[in-house]
Amino acid sequence: MNTDNTQAQMRKGILEYCILAILSRNSCYAIDIINELRKAQVIVVEGTLYPLLTRQKNAGLLSYRWEESPQGPPRKYYELTDEGKKFLAELDGSWQELVTSVNQIRGK
Amino acid sequence: MKITISINLGGYAFNIDEDAYEYLQDYLKSLEREFEGEESASEIISDIEGRLAELFRQKLSSYKQVVTMSDVSEVIAILGTPEAISGSNNERTIPHSSRRIYRDPDNRLLGGVCAGLAAWFDINMWVIRFIFILLACGGGFGVLLYIVLWILLPEAKTTAQKIEMHGKPVTIENIKESVKREFNKVKHTMNL
Repeated sequence: MNTDNTQAQMRKGILEYCILAILSRNSCYAIDIINELRKAQVIVVEGTLYPLLTRQKNAGLLSYRWEESPQGPPRKYYELTDEGKKFLAELDGSWQELVTSVNQIRGK
Repeated sequence: MKITISINLGGYAFNIDEDAYEYLQDYLKSLEREFEGEESASEIISDIEGRLAELFRQKLSSYKQVVTMSDVSEVIAILGTPEAISGSNNERTIPHSSRRIYRDPDNRLLGGVCAGLAAWFDINMWVIRFIFILLACGGGFGVLLYIVLWILLPEAKTTAQKIEMHGKPVTIENIKESVKREFNKVKHTMNL
């Protein structure tokens, strides 16, 4: 069994949750989200983020507006919608459950 | 000396080396293929193009005005391969039945029909040529068949088609390898 692959699958599972969690603190550009995910080591290549952002936007969890940027063309500035906030609260719940379950199994 | 091409990427104008341009174009094409059928494919790709443009701009200065092959490689390494981006980790191999037959312009004697068929059958092209010659001698049927196939079969023009012709999945690694090979061949024939 390939450990890299298992780790990649785990990361992928929580990536969407992490994106929503970052945006719940403050609205930001894609690049800010990438930097934070990089720091937390949940993202390996940048490109993974863009399809996720677009899908979450289509699902009504995020919205964006175009913001002028000092260097070059305007960039997308993402923020959480009310629906996104509700969804995040649900995910917070499931994450807590998961942590408890794993700890319970591993703590024995 | 190299030829450069000017492109518009995410609203910026860039001068890019010819080989780097081909590599970048193949990258974007395989991204499009990867997101084919997704409702917001064009939006995802324009986001990625915007990011590509930002990264290229960071690599350019008044002393370095042209995007090179190594810039493209580095930027693609940052963004990730199309497979990694879309998260599809299914190894796509092309079943033999759905492989397309092309005419192979790189190994042609006449129209590349035999070379293309040989690539499809995965056998030496002289085997096919020999069969055609036999058919041509025995009543001329081979000549007619050859002309019909020449008309019917499309020529493998793009790098992606050439990879497809050999039954390999069209991934960024395969494209890169094949572009490099072609580039070296040109370099060799021009004695650079």
